[in-house]
Amino acid sequence: MPSEETKERIIKAVELGRTIVHYGWIPFIIYIGYTRSNPQPSLIKLISPLA
Amino acid sequence: MAAYPPSLSTVEPVVAPPSPSSSSSKSSAFNVFHRFASWRNSLGLPNPGTVENLQKEVKSTLLTNFFFDGARADLSKSLSVNPIFQVTHSFALGSQTVAPSYNFGAVFANNNVFLQGGVDHEGNVSGRLNQGWSANNVTKAQCQLSSQVGHSMLQLEHDYQGQDYTVNIKAMNPSPVDATGIYMASYLQSFTKNLALGVEMLHQRPQPEMTETAASYLAKYTNDDKNWIATAQLQPAGMMQATYWQKLSEKVDVAADLQVIAAPGRRDAIATLGAKYDLRMSTFRAQLDSTGKVSALLEQRFAPSFSFLVSGEIDHFKNAAKVGVGVMIESPSMTPEEMNMMQMPPTLPP
Repeated sequence: MPSEETKERIIKAVELGRTIVHYGWIPFIIYIGYTRSNPQPSLIKLISPLA
Repeated sequence: MAAYPPSLSTVEPVVAPPSPSSSSSKSSAFNVFHRFASWRNSLGLPNPGTVENLQKEVKSTLLTNFFFDGARADLSKSLSVNPIFQVTHSFALGSQTVAPSYNFGAVFANNNVFLQGGVDHEGNVSGRLNQGWSANNVTKAQCQLSSQVGHSMLQLEHDYQGQDYTVNIKAMNPSPVDATGIYMASYLQSFTKNLALGVEMLHQRPQPEMTETAASYLAKYTNDDKNWIATAQLQPAGMMQATYWQKLSEKVDVAADLQVIAAPGRRDAIATLGAKYDLRMSTFRAQLDSTGKVSALLEQRFAPSFSFLVSGEIDHFKNAAKVGVGVMIESPSMTPEEMNMMQMPPTLPP
Protein backbone atom coordinates (compact mmCIF):
# COMPACT_ATOMS: atom_id res chain seq x y z
CA MET A 1 0.00 0.00 0.00
CA PRO A 2 1.50 3.36 -0.95
CA SER A 3 2.03 6.01 1.68
CA GLU A 4 -0.23 9.02 2.07
CA GLU A 5 2.34 11.25 0.43
CA THR A 6 2.58 9.06 -2.68
CA LYS A 7 -1.19 8.92 -2.87
CA GLU A 8 -1.37 12.71 -2.80
CA ARG A 9 1.18 12.87 -5.60
CA ILE A 10 -0.66 10.33 -7.75
CA ILE A 11 -3.94 12.19 -7.32
CA LYS A 12 -2.25 15.48 -8.28
CA ALA A 13 -0.65 13.87 -11.36
CA VAL A 14 -3.98 12.38 -12.47
CA GLU A 15 -5.65 15.77 -12.03
CA LEU A 16 -2.93 17.47 -14.09
CA GLY A 17 -3.20 14.84 -16.83
CA ARG A 18 -6.94 15.29 -16.91
CA THR A 19 -6.59 19.05 -17.35
CA ILE A 20 -4.03 18.63 -20.13
CA VAL A 21 -6.28 16.20 -22.02
CA HIS A 22 -9.31 18.43 -21.46
CA TYR A 23 -7.71 21.47 -23.10
CA GLY A 24 -5.30 19.69 -25.40
CA TRP A 25 -7.24 16.85 -27.01
CA ILE A 26 -9.07 18.78 -29.75
CA PRO A 27 -6.02 20.93 -30.68
CA PHE A 28 -3.98 17.72 -30.75
CA ILE A 29 -6.33 16.03 -33.25
CA ILE A 30 -6.47 19.17 -35.39
CA TYR A 31 -2.69 19.44 -35.36
CA ILE A 32 -2.23 15.76 -36.29
CA GLY A 33 -4.90 15.98 -38.99
CA TYR A 34 -3.59 19.26 -40.36
CA THR A 35 0.00 18.09 -40.65
CA ARG A 36 -0.76 14.61 -42.00
CA SER A 37 -3.55 15.57 -44.43
CA ASN A 38 -3.01 15.12 -48.11
CA PRO A 39 -3.44 17.70 -49.65
CA GLN A 40 -2.93 20.08 -46.75
CA PRO A 41 -6.07 22.19 -46.19
CA SER A 42 -6.12 25.92 -45.52
CA LEU A 43 -6.56 27.01 -41.91
CA ILE A 44 -9.71 29.06 -42.54
CA LYS A 45 -11.42 25.98 -44.03
CA LEU A 46 -10.55 24.07 -40.90
CA ILE A 47 -12.19 26.38 -38.37
CA SER A 48 -15.07 28.16 -40.07
CA PRO A 49 -18.31 26.24 -40.63
CA LEU A 50 -19.13 28.19 -43.80
CA ALA A 51 -15.89 28.36 -45.76
CA MET B 1 -5.52 -18.25 -20.61
CA ALA B 2 -7.42 -18.08 -23.83
CA ALA B 3 -5.86 -21.22 -25.23
CA TYR B 4 -7.58 -23.35 -22.58
CA PRO B 5 -11.05 -21.95 -22.25
CA PRO B 6 -12.78 -23.66 -19.35
CA SER B 7 -15.97 -23.74 -21.37
CA LEU B 8 -14.40 -26.01 -23.93
CA SER B 9 -13.65 -28.74 -21.43
CA THR B 10 -17.19 -30.03 -21.87
CA VAL B 11 -16.38 -30.87 -25.47
CA GLU B 12 -14.97 -34.33 -25.96
CA PRO B 13 -11.27 -34.01 -25.22
CA VAL B 14 -8.64 -35.27 -27.56
CA VAL B 15 -6.80 -38.07 -25.83
CA ALA B 16 -3.12 -38.12 -26.57
CA PRO B 17 -1.90 -41.61 -27.41
CA PRO B 18 0.61 -42.94 -24.91
CA SER B 19 3.87 -42.15 -26.61
CA PRO B 20 6.60 -44.60 -25.63
CA SER B 21 9.40 -42.13 -26.25
CA SER B 22 7.93 -39.48 -23.94
CA SER B 23 10.48 -39.18 -21.21
CA SER B 24 9.20 -36.07 -19.43
CA SER B 25 5.68 -34.99 -18.66
CA LYS B 26 6.49 -31.58 -20.16
CA SER B 27 6.80 -32.85 -23.71
CA SER B 28 3.64 -34.93 -23.43
CA ALA B 29 1.75 -31.89 -22.16
CA PHE B 30 3.07 -29.96 -25.11
CA ASN B 31 2.00 -32.81 -27.39
CA VAL B 32 -1.55 -32.71 -25.97
CA PHE B 33 -1.64 -28.97 -26.41
CA HIS B 34 -0.42 -29.28 -29.99
CA ARG B 35 -2.98 -31.98 -30.84
CA PHE B 36 -5.69 -29.92 -29.20
CA ALA B 37 -4.70 -26.82 -31.18
CA SER B 38 -4.61 -28.67 -34.50
CA TRP B 39 -7.94 -30.37 -33.74
CA ARG B 40 -9.38 -26.95 -33.00
CA ASN B 41 -7.98 -25.56 -36.25
CA SER B 42 -9.47 -28.44 -38.19
CA LEU B 43 -12.97 -27.50 -37.00
CA GLY B 44 -12.71 -24.24 -38.95
CA LEU B 45 -14.97 -22.26 -36.64
CA PRO B 46 -15.51 -18.62 -37.51
CA ASN B 47 -14.69 -15.71 -35.23
CA PRO B 48 -17.90 -14.84 -33.35
CA GLY B 49 -17.35 -11.06 -33.47
CA THR B 50 -16.98 -8.86 -30.42
CA VAL B 51 -19.35 -8.72 -27.47
CA GLU B 52 -19.81 -5.00 -28.09
CA ASN B 53 -21.05 -5.76 -31.62
CA LEU B 54 -23.30 -8.62 -30.52
CA GLN B 55 -26.41 -6.61 -31.36
CA LYS B 56 -24.85 -4.36 -33.99
CA GLU B 57 -27.28 -5.30 -36.77
CA VAL B 58 -30.31 -4.81 -34.55
CA LYS B 59 -29.04 -1.45 -33.30
CA SER B 60 -28.44 -0.17 -36.82
CA THR B 61 -31.90 -1.28 -37.95
CA LEU B 62 -33.93 0.01 -35.03
CA LEU B 63 -34.72 3.69 -34.82
CA THR B 64 -33.92 4.15 -31.12
CA ASN B 65 -30.32 5.24 -31.69
CA PHE B 66 -31.12 7.56 -34.58
CA PHE B 67 -34.19 9.37 -33.33
CA PHE B 68 -34.03 13.10 -32.62
CA ASP B 69 -36.59 15.87 -32.17
CA GLY B 70 -36.45 19.60 -32.73
CA ALA B 71 -34.15 21.01 -35.39
CA ARG B 72 -30.68 19.85 -36.18
CA ALA B 73 -27.93 20.80 -38.61
CA ASP B 74 -24.69 18.94 -39.19
CA LEU B 75 -22.06 20.60 -41.31
CA SER B 76 -19.21 18.26 -41.91
CA LYS B 77 -16.12 18.93 -43.88
CA SER B 78 -13.83 16.22 -45.01
CA LEU B 79 -10.44 17.77 -45.41
CA SER B 80 -8.52 14.69 -46.40
CA VAL B 81 -9.49 11.22 -47.58
CA ASN B 82 -6.34 9.24 -46.95
CA PRO B 83 -5.69 9.54 -44.03
CA ILE B 84 -9.25 10.47 -43.09
CA PHE B 85 -9.50 13.91 -41.53
CA GLN B 86 -12.90 15.43 -40.94
CA VAL B 87 -14.34 18.27 -38.88
CA THR B 88 -18.01 18.59 -37.98
CA HIS B 89 -20.08 21.46 -36.63
CA SER B 90 -23.42 20.30 -35.20
CA PHE B 91 -26.22 22.54 -34.05
CA ALA B 92 -29.34 21.36 -32.27
CA LEU B 93 -32.26 23.31 -30.86
CA GLY B 94 -35.92 23.11 -30.03
CA SER B 95 -35.83 19.61 -28.59
CA GLN B 96 -38.25 18.65 -25.81
CA THR B 97 -35.67 16.65 -23.92
CA VAL B 98 -32.23 18.18 -24.54
CA ALA B 99 -31.13 21.80 -24.26
CA PRO B 100 -29.98 23.64 -27.41
CA SER B 101 -26.38 22.82 -28.13
CA TYR B 102 -23.45 23.37 -30.40
CA ASN B 103 -20.83 20.71 -30.86
CA PHE B 104 -17.54 20.75 -32.70
CA GLY B 105 -16.02 17.43 -33.63
CA ALA B 106 -12.82 16.30 -35.28
CA VAL B 107 -11.90 12.85 -36.57
CA PHE B 108 -8.58 11.57 -37.75
CA ALA B 109 -8.00 7.99 -38.87
CA ASN B 110 -5.37 6.07 -40.73
CA ASN B 111 -4.79 2.33 -41.04
CA ASN B 112 -4.13 1.66 -37.38
CA VAL B 113 -5.00 4.78 -35.40
CA PHE B 114 -8.39 6.36 -34.90
CA LEU B 115 -8.69 9.66 -33.04
CA GLN B 116 -11.96 11.39 -32.35
CA GLY B 117 -12.76 14.41 -30.26
CA GLY B 118 -15.74 16.62 -29.59
CA VAL B 119 -16.33 19.75 -27.60
CA ASP B 120 -19.67 21.39 -26.85
CA HIS B 121 -20.52 25.00 -26.09
CA GLU B 122 -20.18 24.38 -22.34
CA GLY B 123 -16.62 23.17 -22.73
CA ASN B 124 -17.27 19.48 -22.12
CA VAL B 125 -14.81 17.40 -24.09
CA SER B 126 -15.31 13.83 -25.24
CA GLY B 127 -12.54 11.83 -26.75
CA ARG B 128 -11.91 8.45 -28.24
CA LEU B 129 -8.69 6.77 -29.25
CA ASN B 130 -8.32 3.39 -30.92
CA GLN B 131 -4.94 1.91 -31.59
CA GLY B 132 -4.67 -1.25 -33.63
CA TRP B 133 -1.49 -3.19 -32.86
CA SER B 134 -2.19 -5.92 -35.38
CA ALA B 135 -5.24 -7.21 -37.23
CA ASN B 136 -6.44 -8.95 -34.05
CA ASN B 137 -5.36 -6.63 -31.27
CA VAL B 138 -7.02 -3.29 -30.63
CA THR B 139 -6.66 -1.03 -27.60
CA LYS B 140 -9.34 1.58 -27.08
CA ALA B 141 -9.62 4.53 -24.75
CA GLN B 142 -12.65 6.70 -24.24
CA CYS B 143 -13.05 9.73 -22.06
CA GLN B 144 -15.57 12.32 -21.10
CA LEU B 145 -14.14 15.41 -19.46
CA SER B 146 -16.15 18.08 -17.78
CA SER B 147 -15.20 21.07 -15.68
CA GLN B 148 -17.85 20.00 -13.17
CA VAL B 149 -16.50 17.74 -10.46
CA GLY B 150 -17.56 14.11 -10.71
CA HIS B 151 -18.75 14.21 -14.31
CA SER B 152 -15.57 12.97 -15.90
CA MET B 153 -15.21 9.43 -17.13
CA LEU B 154 -12.38 7.35 -18.50
CA GLN B 155 -12.67 3.90 -20.04
CA LEU B 156 -9.79 1.74 -21.18
CA GLU B 157 -10.31 -1.48 -23.05
CA HIS B 158 -8.47 -4.09 -25.05
CA ASP B 159 -9.93 -6.41 -27.66
CA TYR B 160 -8.34 -9.60 -28.84
CA GLN B 161 -9.93 -11.59 -31.64
CA GLY B 162 -8.67 -15.14 -31.90
CA GLN B 163 -9.45 -17.63 -34.61
CA ASP B 164 -12.75 -18.76 -33.07
CA TYR B 165 -13.04 -16.63 -29.93
CA THR B 166 -12.94 -13.03 -28.78
CA VAL B 167 -11.63 -11.68 -25.49
CA ASN B 168 -12.25 -8.20 -24.18
CA ILE B 169 -11.12 -6.54 -20.97
CA LYS B 170 -12.36 -3.18 -19.87
CA ALA B 171 -11.75 -0.79 -16.99
CA MET B 172 -13.97 2.18 -16.23
CA ASN B 173 -12.64 5.00 -14.06
CA PRO B 174 -9.80 2.88 -12.65
CA SER B 175 -8.08 4.62 -9.77
CA PRO B 176 -4.34 3.98 -9.44
CA VAL B 177 -4.49 4.85 -5.73
CA ASP B 178 -6.98 2.37 -4.28
CA ALA B 179 -8.00 0.32 -7.38
CA THR B 180 -11.62 1.43 -7.24
CA GLY B 181 -13.64 1.43 -10.45
CA ILE B 182 -15.61 -0.91 -12.65
CA TYR B 183 -13.84 -3.79 -14.36
CA MET B 184 -15.27 -6.03 -17.05
CA ALA B 185 -13.98 -9.07 -18.87
CA SER B 186 -15.79 -10.97 -21.56
CA TYR B 187 -15.16 -14.11 -23.54
CA LEU B 188 -17.14 -15.22 -26.58
CA GLN B 189 -16.48 -18.59 -28.21
CA SER B 190 -17.88 -20.18 -31.38
CA PHE B 191 -19.12 -23.70 -30.70
CA THR B 192 -20.47 -24.53 -34.13
CA LYS B 193 -20.44 -22.58 -37.38
CA ASN B 194 -23.65 -20.89 -36.25
CA LEU B 195 -23.67 -20.76 -32.49
CA ALA B 196 -21.46 -18.69 -30.23
CA LEU B 197 -21.73 -18.60 -26.44
CA GLY B 198 -20.07 -16.22 -24.07
CA VAL B 199 -19.80 -14.93 -20.58
CA GLU B 200 -19.17 -11.43 -19.27
CA MET B 201 -17.89 -10.78 -15.77
CA LEU B 202 -18.50 -7.45 -14.10
CA HIS B 203 -16.49 -6.47 -11.06
CA GLN B 204 -17.57 -3.31 -9.30
CA ARG B 205 -15.52 -1.61 -6.64
CA PRO B 206 -17.06 1.74 -5.79
CA GLN B 207 -15.11 1.91 -2.51
CA PRO B 208 -11.97 0.03 -1.50
CA GLU B 209 -13.85 -2.10 1.08
CA MET B 210 -16.86 -2.75 -1.13
CA THR B 211 -16.74 -5.14 -4.04
CA GLU B 212 -19.37 -6.83 -6.11
CA THR B 213 -19.02 -9.35 -8.90
CA ALA B 214 -21.71 -10.40 -11.32
CA ALA B 215 -21.78 -12.54 -14.43
CA SER B 216 -23.95 -12.24 -17.50
CA TYR B 217 -24.31 -14.83 -20.23
CA LEU B 218 -24.52 -14.29 -23.96
CA ALA B 219 -25.61 -16.38 -26.91
CA LYS B 220 -25.63 -15.60 -30.60
CA TYR B 221 -26.98 -17.70 -33.42
CA THR B 222 -26.14 -16.75 -37.00
CA ASN B 223 -27.78 -18.48 -39.90
CA ASP B 224 -25.62 -20.15 -42.59
CA ASP B 225 -26.22 -17.36 -45.12
CA LYS B 226 -25.76 -14.73 -42.39
CA ASN B 227 -29.15 -13.29 -43.27
CA TRP B 228 -30.65 -13.72 -39.87
CA ILE B 229 -29.14 -13.40 -36.41
CA ALA B 230 -30.67 -14.12 -33.02
CA THR B 231 -29.03 -13.09 -29.77
CA ALA B 232 -29.86 -13.49 -26.10
CA GLN B 233 -28.28 -11.89 -23.10
CA LEU B 234 -29.00 -12.94 -19.53
CA GLN B 235 -27.95 -10.34 -16.99
CA PRO B 236 -27.87 -10.47 -13.22
CA ALA B 237 -30.89 -9.24 -11.25
CA GLY B 238 -33.27 -11.01 -13.59
CA MET B 239 -32.73 -8.96 -16.70
CA MET B 240 -32.96 -10.61 -20.08
CA GLN B 241 -32.63 -9.20 -23.55
CA ALA B 242 -33.39 -11.13 -26.72
CA THR B 243 -33.04 -9.77 -30.24
CA TYR B 244 -33.71 -11.00 -33.72
CA TRP B 245 -32.55 -9.47 -36.98
CA GLN B 246 -33.32 -10.56 -40.51
CA LYS B 247 -32.37 -9.30 -43.93
CA LEU B 248 -35.52 -9.75 -45.98
CA SER B 249 -34.02 -8.50 -49.23
CA GLU B 250 -31.15 -6.34 -50.48
CA LYS B 251 -32.99 -3.23 -49.33
CA VAL B 252 -35.08 -4.29 -46.34
CA ASP B 253 -33.92 -5.26 -42.85
CA VAL B 254 -36.22 -6.03 -39.95
CA ALA B 255 -35.36 -6.31 -36.26
CA ALA B 256 -37.12 -7.21 -33.04
CA ASP B 257 -35.95 -6.64 -29.50
CA LEU B 258 -37.44 -7.93 -26.25
CA GLN B 259 -36.27 -6.74 -22.85
CA VAL B 260 -37.59 -8.44 -19.76
CA ILE B 261 -36.97 -7.48 -16.14
CA ALA B 262 -38.13 -10.09 -13.65
CA ALA B 263 -36.66 -8.85 -10.39
CA PRO B 264 -38.55 -9.71 -7.17
CA GLY B 265 -39.99 -6.21 -6.75
CA ARG B 266 -40.39 -5.35 -10.37
CA ARG B 267 -41.70 -7.12 -13.42
CA ASP B 268 -41.59 -5.34 -16.72
CA ALA B 269 -41.09 -6.03 -20.38
CA ILE B 270 -40.67 -3.94 -23.50
CA ALA B 271 -40.87 -5.27 -27.04
CA THR B 272 -39.73 -3.28 -30.05
CA LEU B 273 -40.26 -4.06 -33.70
CA GLY B 274 -38.58 -2.10 -36.46
CA ALA B 275 -37.82 -2.07 -40.17
CA LYS B 276 -35.25 -0.27 -42.28
CA TYR B 277 -35.48 0.40 -46.01
CA ASP B 278 -32.31 1.35 -47.85
CA LEU B 279 -33.46 2.94 -51.06
CA ARG B 280 -31.32 4.48 -53.76
CA MET B 281 -31.35 8.05 -52.43
CA SER B 282 -32.91 7.58 -49.03
CA THR B 283 -33.07 5.53 -45.87
CA PHE B 284 -36.36 5.00 -44.07
CA ARG B 285 -36.78 3.52 -40.61
CA ALA B 286 -40.04 2.74 -38.88
CA GLN B 287 -40.55 1.38 -35.40
CA LEU B 288 -43.34 0.25 -33.11
CA ASP B 289 -42.95 -0.64 -29.44
CA SER B 290 -45.08 -2.03 -26.64
CA THR B 291 -45.09 1.26 -24.70
CA GLY B 292 -47.39 2.62 -27.41
CA LYS B 293 -44.84 4.57 -29.40
CA VAL B 294 -44.86 4.65 -33.18
CA SER B 295 -41.95 6.42 -34.79
CA ALA B 296 -40.37 6.93 -38.19
CA LEU B 297 -37.31 8.60 -39.64
CA LEU B 298 -36.64 9.49 -43.24
CA GLU B 299 -33.20 10.43 -44.43
CA GLN B 300 -33.38 11.75 -47.97
CA ARG B 301 -30.24 12.53 -49.95
CA PHE B 302 -30.86 15.17 -52.59
CA ALA B 303 -27.24 15.31 -53.67
CA PRO B 304 -24.25 13.30 -52.53
CA SER B 305 -23.33 16.08 -50.13
CA PHE B 306 -26.76 17.19 -48.96
CA SER B 307 -29.34 15.22 -47.07
CA PHE B 308 -32.53 16.11 -45.32
CA LEU B 309 -33.97 14.31 -42.28
CA VAL B 310 -37.51 14.18 -40.95
CA SER B 311 -38.47 12.26 -37.85
CA GLY B 312 -41.66 11.82 -35.91
CA GLU B 313 -42.92 9.92 -32.92
CA ILE B 314 -46.40 9.50 -31.49
CA ASP B 315 -46.86 8.13 -28.00
CA HIS B 316 -50.39 6.76 -28.08
CA PHE B 317 -50.60 5.93 -24.36
CA LYS B 318 -49.40 9.34 -23.15
CA ASN B 319 -50.99 11.22 -26.04
CA ALA B 320 -47.78 13.03 -26.90
CA ALA B 321 -45.90 13.63 -30.10
CA LYS B 322 -42.46 14.74 -31.20
CA VAL B 323 -41.21 15.91 -34.57
CA GLY B 324 -37.77 16.70 -35.81
CA VAL B 325 -36.18 18.10 -38.94
CA GLY B 326 -32.54 18.14 -39.80
CA VAL B 327 -30.06 18.85 -42.55
CA MET B 328 -26.70 17.27 -43.14
CA ILE B 329 -24.30 19.09 -45.40
CA GLU B 330 -20.98 17.66 -46.29
CA SER B 331 -18.45 19.75 -48.12
CA PRO B 332 -15.76 17.85 -49.94
CA SER B 333 -12.11 18.54 -49.41
CA MET B 334 -11.46 19.45 -53.03
CA THR B 335 -12.93 21.97 -55.44
CA PRO B 336 -14.83 20.52 -58.44
CA GLU B 337 -11.85 21.21 -60.74
CA GLU B 338 -9.56 19.24 -58.47
CA MET B 339 -12.11 16.40 -58.37
CA ASN B 340 -12.13 16.22 -62.16
CA MET B 341 -8.36 16.15 -62.17
CA MET B 342 -8.38 13.25 -59.74
CA GLN B 343 -10.98 11.29 -61.66
CA MET B 344 -9.07 11.47 -64.94
CA PRO B 345 -7.37 8.18 -65.66
CA PRO B 346 -3.63 8.43 -65.43
CA THR B 347 -2.00 8.28 -68.83
CA LEU B 348 0.41 5.43 -68.78
CA PRO B 349 3.39 5.43 -71.10
CA PRO B 350 3.21 2.59 -73.62
